Amino acid sequence: MMETQNRSKTLLEWLALDTLVAWVRDLEVSSHGLSWSRFCGSLSLVLVVLLFISGAFMAFYYSPAPGAAYDSVDYAQFNIPFGDVVRGVHYYAWNLLLVVVGLHLLRAFFVGGYKPPREMVWISGVLVMLILPAFIITGDLLPWDQKGYWSTQVRNSIMSSVPVLGDFLVRMLQGGPRTGIVALTRFYVLHTIILPGLLLLFIAVHVHFLWYRGISGPLAGEEGDQQKKVPFVPNIVNRWLFLFLVVTVVLGLVSWYWPAPLGDPADPTDATYVPNPEWWVLSLNQLVAIFKGPLTVIATAIIPGGLVALIMALPFIDRSPERHPARRKKTILIGAVIGSILLALALMGYIEHHLTPLE
Amino acid sequence: MTQNRDSIKANNNKLYSSRRTFIKTAALTGVAALVTGVPLASYVIAPSLNKGTGKWIDFGPVEDLNPGSMEMLSYEFMVKDGWLVLPQRGFVWAKTEAGGNLRIFSSTCTHLACNVIWREEEEVFVCPCHSGRFNGDGRNIAGPPTRPLTVLQHKVEEGNLMVFLTV
Repeated sequence: MMETQNRSKTLLEWLALDTLVAWVRDLEVSSHGLSWSRFCGSLSLVLVVLLFISGAFMAFYYSPAPGAAYDSVDYAQFNIPFGDVVRGVHYYAWNLLLVVVGLHLLRAFFVGGYKPPREMVWISGVLVMLILPAFIITGDLLPWDQKGYWSTQVRNSIMSSVPVLGDFLVRMLQGGPRTGIVALTRFYVLHTIILPGLLLLFIAVHVHFLWYRGISGPLAGEEGDQQKKVPFVPNIVNRWLFLFLVVTVVLGLVSWYWPAPLGDPADPTDATYVPNPEWWVLSLNQLVAIFKGPLTVIATAIIPGGLVALIMALPFIDRSPERHPARRKKTILIGAVIGSILLALALMGYIEHHLTPLE
Repeated sequence: MTQNRDSIKANNNKLYSSRRTFIKTAALTGVAALVTGVPLASYVIAPSLNKGTGKWIDFGPVEDLNPGSMEMLSYEFMVKDGWLVLPQRGFVWAKTEAGGNLRIFSSTCTHLACNVIWREEEEVFVCPCHSGRFNGDGRNIAGPPTRPLTVLQHKVEEGNLMVFLTV
């Protein structure tokens, strides 16, 4: 008491941040968190930060109205200094994020990261992953180019094939039967306000469980107290900053050499435009081509829904405490079979849509 | 004994009061959610209830169509979309039989809503998205589509072809 009276307060004390800063300074985390085999989590975080920054800046030059939307994106990309880099980083970052989040999930699957006590870490992680397609679906329409417009038409009719609710869902998403200005405004608000809010919430939940349950640690080693610790500041923070720098520079250079694609302005009358499904949706698209007519619902709702339910329920299906993949042959085998089927479907789709020219 | 009973009583009182507090807070939360939720939900859902209506669109003189042909007829008309009046563009396929009998097909593929294109040499409609095919009568003959192309209502008014389109 006397001390604070005698000396002048530090800036941190004025800001009432002294206890928080002291806590962060003394924070220690498992040294296994620094292992390179598990940097997909850190990389996802870095990519999400990059997406938030580039997205917020893109909004400075975006005008959410059909027609004007295309011109505004075109203007920002080709007339504003670093416009191609900002949009390119956003574009390449989400593509990369899908890959990295996929690897993150695969790793957790292989090393049994979902085993007790980390069931909720797994489930919350799957939630984060599930929200990503919603970002792509809403974001794809925003430039109002041919690809975005026609992909939206295809997605809408896939969604409306969901029984009972499908049609209403599409009208709810678009704010009516048309893909026009009401729809574009809704997609814009979802993409830039609602979904980022949800994403932050889900990431916070994921980190919350990670914080209280701890990271899964090496397969062979002991968990808990015996583990070596490293200070969060600077070791982990520096790793994150290093990743941020490398990713920003690499993606910036890539988008400078290979600008993010911007097609022709959306034209609902253009019969010749063929929207090619993107790589991440190829397997689902191929399912839709296999199950036709009254069976469409199998491809659009039952199989994807079942798959998501299966992944979510994994901690409760594979209940043994065993984490080593060699001692979980059955789980790994089933996972590999499902993965191979999805990969085969994607390959079929790739050959059909990207290699075969339309006769 | 009395002390014990008193402590139970006190405990119960605390329990009741905490239950009462909980119910009060829960009720307030519920009312607050209702008061904000109902207007906000209506605000968002309102335009979604609009299923779209039909409109007769003028495609010009019917005699411009060549008998025995399949022609692409483009349209553009103004439609109010939310707060903006915007041109709605698209096209339909008009099949004129030798006798002058007319059928208008929607260009929307019944699979996933891409636009179908008429291939004159093969006399089929092809959907570029998933290679669905329809014959000259709009019947689905190959690929994913399981329903024929929609035949649109049409009429001839003062020599002009009118087609009923859902807008």
